[in-house]
Amino acid sequence: MAAPLDVPTSGDVVPESVLEGISSKAIEGRSLGQIAWIRLRRDKVAMAGGAIVIFLILVAIFGPFLVQNPDTYHANLINPTFSRPNGPFGGISLAHPFGVEPVTGRDVLSRVVNGARVSLLIAFLATALAVGIGVVMGVIAGYFGGWVDAVIARSMDVFLAFPLLVFAIALVGVIPSSAFGLNGNSLRIGLLVFVIGFFAWPYMGRIIRGQTLSLREREFVDAARSIGARGPYILFRELLPNLVAPILVYSTLLIPTNILFEAALSYLGVGIIPPTPSWGGMLSDAVSNGYYSIDPMYMIIPGLAIFITVMAFNLFGDGLRDALDPRSSR
Amino acid sequence: MITFIVRRLIATVFLLIVVSIAVYAIFFLIPRLAGQNTYQLATQYVGRNPTHAAVLAIEEKLGLNSPLYLQYGRFLKAIVLGTHYNSGTSITYCPPPCFGYSFKSQQPVWPQMVSDIPVTLSLGIGAAILWLVGGVAIGVLSALRRGTFFDRFSMGVALLGVSLPIFFTGLILLELFSYKWPIFPNVTFVPLTQNPLLWARNLVLPWICLAFLYAALYARLTRAGMLETMSEDYIRTARAKGLRERKVIFKHGLRAALTPIVTIFGMDLGLLLGGAIITEYTFSLHGLGLFTIEAVQNQDLPEILGVTMLAAFFIVVANLVVDILYAVVDPRVRT
Amino acid sequence: MRRPRTIGLAALGAAAALALAACGGGSSGSGGGGGGSNSSAPAYNAAVTKVINPSTHKGGTLTFGNTSAPDSTDPGNTYYAYMWNFVRLYTMPLMTYKSCPGKCGLQVVPDLATGPGVVSDNGLTWTYHLQPDVKFEDGTTVTSADVKYAVERTFDRGLFPLGPAYFPSLLAAQSPAYPGPFKDRSKNLMGLNAIQTPNATTIVFHLAKPFADFNYVVAIPQTAPVPPNKDTGANYQLHPISTGPYKFQSYQLNKQLTLVPNTDWKASTDPNAKQLASKVTMTMNMNANDIDNRLLAGDLDVDAAGTGVQAAARAKILSSPTLKATADDPIAGFTWFAALNTTLPPLNNLHCRMAVEYAANKTNYQTAYGGPVAGGGIASTVAPPNVVGQKSFDLYEATTKPNGNDAKAKQELQACGKPSGFSTAITYRSDRPKEVATAQALQASLGQVGIKLSLHGFPTETYDANFAGVPKYEAQHNIGISLYGWAADWPDGYGFFYYIADGKAISPAGNTNLAQLNDPVVNNLLSKMATTNDTATRNSYTSQIDMQIMKDAAILPGVYAKSLLYRSPNLTNVYVQSYYGMYNYAVLGVK
Repeated sequence: MAAPLDVPTSGDVVPESVLEGISSKAIEGRSLGQIAWIRLRRDKVAMAGGAIVIFLILVAIFGPFLVQNPDTYHANLINPTFSRPNGPFGGISLAHPFGVEPVTGRDVLSRVVNGARVSLLIAFLATALAVGIGVVMGVIAGYFGGWVDAVIARSMDVFLAFPLLVFAIALVGVIPSSAFGLNGNSLRIGLLVFVIGFFAWPYMGRIIRGQTLSLREREFVDAARSIGARGPYILFRELLPNLVAPILVYSTLLIPTNILFEAALSYLGVGIIPPTPSWGGMLSDAVSNGYYSIDPMYMIIPGLAIFITVMAFNLFGDGLRDALDPRSSR
Repeated sequence: MITFIVRRLIATVFLLIVVSIAVYAIFFLIPRLAGQNTYQLATQYVGRNPTHAAVLAIEEKLGLNSPLYLQYGRFLKAIVLGTHYNSGTSITYCPPPCFGYSFKSQQPVWPQMVSDIPVTLSLGIGAAILWLVGGVAIGVLSALRRGTFFDRFSMGVALLGVSLPIFFTGLILLELFSYKWPIFPNVTFVPLTQNPLLWARNLVLPWICLAFLYAALYARLTRAGMLETMSEDYIRTARAKGLRERKVIFKHGLRAALTPIVTIFGMDLGLLLGGAIITEYTFSLHGLGLFTIEAVQNQDLPEILGVTMLAAFFIVVANLVVDILYAVVDPRVRT
Repeated sequence: MRRPRTIGLAALGAAAALALAACGGGSSGSGGGGGGSNSSAPAYNAAVTKVINPSTHKGGTLTFGNTSAPDSTDPGNTYYAYMWNFVRLYTMPLMTYKSCPGKCGLQVVPDLATGPGVVSDNGLTWTYHLQPDVKFEDGTTVTSADVKYAVERTFDRGLFPLGPAYFPSLLAAQSPAYPGPFKDRSKNLMGLNAIQTPNATTIVFHLAKPFADFNYVVAIPQTAPVPPNKDTGANYQLHPISTGPYKFQSYQLNKQLTLVPNTDWKASTDPNAKQLASKVTMTMNMNANDIDNRLLAGDLDVDAAGTGVQAAARAKILSSPTLKATADDPIAGFTWFAALNTTLPPLNNLHCRMAVEYAANKTNYQTAYGGPVAGGGIASTVAPPNVVGQKSFDLYEATTKPNGNDAKAKQELQACGKPSGFSTAITYRSDRPKEVATAQALQASLGQVGIKLSLHGFPTETYDANFAGVPKYEAQHNIGISLYGWAADWPDGYGFFYYIADGKAISPAGNTNLAQLNDPVVNNLLSKMATTNDTATRNSYTSQIDMQIMKDAAILPGVYAKSLLYRSPNLTNVYVQSYYGMYNYAVLGVK
């Protein structure tokens, strides 16, 4: 019984430019997704952001296999009196295209590539957790209303009262070095993902709850109910597809926040455990040890990596929001 | 209005209790879930010289084997009424509000935190004002001058602001304006009561550091909100009625665009505290943030618990203040 | 930009530095300048041999910055060289080190006492006479009972675990053992029988066995007088009653300490300290690089820890001739090393420890500490060259194969039954960037033979009291390696080795024998050293002890420390006090 329920929601306008692109074959209705994709495609900046995002994901997945060992010291490339790499621009050479680290002589390119894996892993997992919990709670609260809504909304208040960074730092101090069957970095990553996801879901939850509340009153939900559809059906087949837009948009905007969060935790000394590289760790190393004054490249490279990633996600997210929101004007 | 405030106050007290239960539970449940037994937990409290006897004594003194609700009750009672701690050589009285006693540093927790509170408050409130005013102003101006150089430039800088970590901004500020060109030399906290001018001067760089990221965020949000509002029909009506442009913008446009901003601001208070920690660490300002870091480095459980509880209380109270201000601005909320 | 030129200058500077350092050699002070009346124009390493900016100008605020916080400001409960230096601002122990630059600064001279100890009874009795008119900050006169009490309270190792425990081990024993004044429950308070105070200005120490170095022992801050009625135990550190030029005005624990001049102090009674500044402050928990930046900018006067600037400042200083002229690179008198826990499996097996000795990359250790100029020479013995009687030897190819010998390491791993390596944890002081870098360097080099290290960093202020210095903690957390540094408590072998190598020195909290070494050979040599009167024989034991410790592979030596110190132009009367290997804090003033 798919067809009648696939009617696009009211308020959706099919721009003329789209109509122009239709060839002489029979005119088909375009789904929201297709419309959004066409609009997105036309936004060059957002597409560039998206391309960078995809590139970064590929680097994170495949990169570490293509570069050298990130933990090998090369003391011969370091000037021992100044602890700085020999040669200009942080010791750039054919063997070390991004130069080497001060003091240790480790290859910066391989550390950046391996760091991409760690930073993106944490950001994606944490976002997934926060979005997962947030969407579920938001939809339930918005759809069922009544006391269910009240309880969930109040619990969102409680969660928002928890200062995220304070909690992350505190829990790192409290959890023993091996717990839940994990230790070392897997425990640390798990802890970070848990803290972010567990405490950041209200941001998503509030938005989804608001959207659900307004969607609930739309005609198509009434129509479905009148045909006899029950709660879960409505939730999953009616509401969720229409929530995809805000979910996608806010996810892409949440990911860069989490990348910066991991960077902040590394700076404060409670992030990824060395020697595993992470962008935040490299940047905070360069910053808090003052290496930027003896080897600026060591700060610029991870800084640029973070900056480009965050910007790319932000631009892509902006473009996605503009493309999905039918009322936005360019 | 009064009923509104009273209702919010009651809700706040309730929220405080719920939050304190949650914090307490987390600190005692998570280690237990992680497989620690009370003996190991007591070892973390006991500080120096963890002989078997000392650990058992701490286990007993802190009542770590009692059910959780009893322990929590004792904790709550300590906050309200104060309590005594037997530190081995002497009995220390910990006056209310007693957030616990650190056996490692052999001092009660609250007195160590008290002197830090003005630092974090000065930093947080100043930065919040700066970012709200700055962010909103730039957002409004950008929206009004849409497409011009000012718009593009400020949005470019805003994009930079949301993409750079706070400590990076802080470091650049220190490097340029404190070490290289001593415009703000020697950033240390001077209490407001002691020397207001120096207090403000030393806080300028930390305020900018903390506010930059969020001002950028709010500028973007305000701009988007303003653009959306200004294209609404009722704005056109207002203009058609002949109202002066300034009145149209501020009385009608900005008011509507501000509502989501204020909502988000309440949610962002937690982020404010987080940013304050990083800023305090960068500028070596002795506030609650630095205290948290030191407590974690020293693995001092009572101090960690105390400061987390205090931070959570802060947020709840700050939310109350924001809500009241919001009600002042928007009468519809007062129902 | 200016870089290429800077590198050229730097090379020149480095060469010059090495030349001057070689000049300074094993003894800490022969440096370049003869004839001290040469004008005190700033020059590199000038403060090692001369007083820079001598002045009697009074006034100003002397500011210290600290990356962590003092282990304690209580003179009876602290064991860091910089704190033994700093407490002279508010204490007068019985004897102290003469305040002067160069070798002169290694002499121990009377401070509260009127002269060195008078020895009698075959070396078992030491008598000191006190100056009659030294006053506490509240105007009361210091008596011998106050000195006796100061020593007595240190016997309570539960309350004061951190300072050395020479007195309990050297003084005549009594039974039951004296537990300290807080736990002394006997009728009329038994007190410590081994110390007698026949009158208000005489104090007599009765030793269990003759000990020729006893004058050095009373130069430890633990003999600084403490009025019994003002002793608040663990809280005494918040306001010790001063006998020195300054007294506590306020102390916010972990934040800021402020001292002001002590009006009851008389310069005539204490020629080794000066009262020039009108305020002294120490700010705690500052970022290490922030301290360096503020020093260079003139916002801060002294880096309290006195172990040298970090990498960024070092590069700036060594590459700029003007900045270099305001820096000193003294021999610090320390060895930076890693203690290997001899009680923790698998390091309790000698061959596993030898594997660590061979596998460690000493060049990386040195680079982490700052290279040959600012870090020091690669060490192959535990005792640094300035300890009397030290001889050089190299059991594990530290100087011949400084990058480590993985092949030999793997052989040793086979011999100890762990051919593919093992896992253990390493502790270090997390607020000291050089130690952080060293821990990571060891992690990398040991990892190459399969020894996997997990990193556990702790702040300096609690490192000894709560973590590395607590053997139970190390056992519970599988800590096999602890980074440390040690300088002699007084300049001979006993003063260097006792607390890091004698089995009797192992203590449940505040432990300094981090290797927990309990080797009868070492213990015997140290006992013999304690009771031998003949200097030459005594000094011959130093290298034997050193050799045995290295044979036990209990310690992995790192570098013989040098510290690149920045000498702020604001300071007056600044020079390196050889005993501390850093500037003498008790005589500083500000312009």
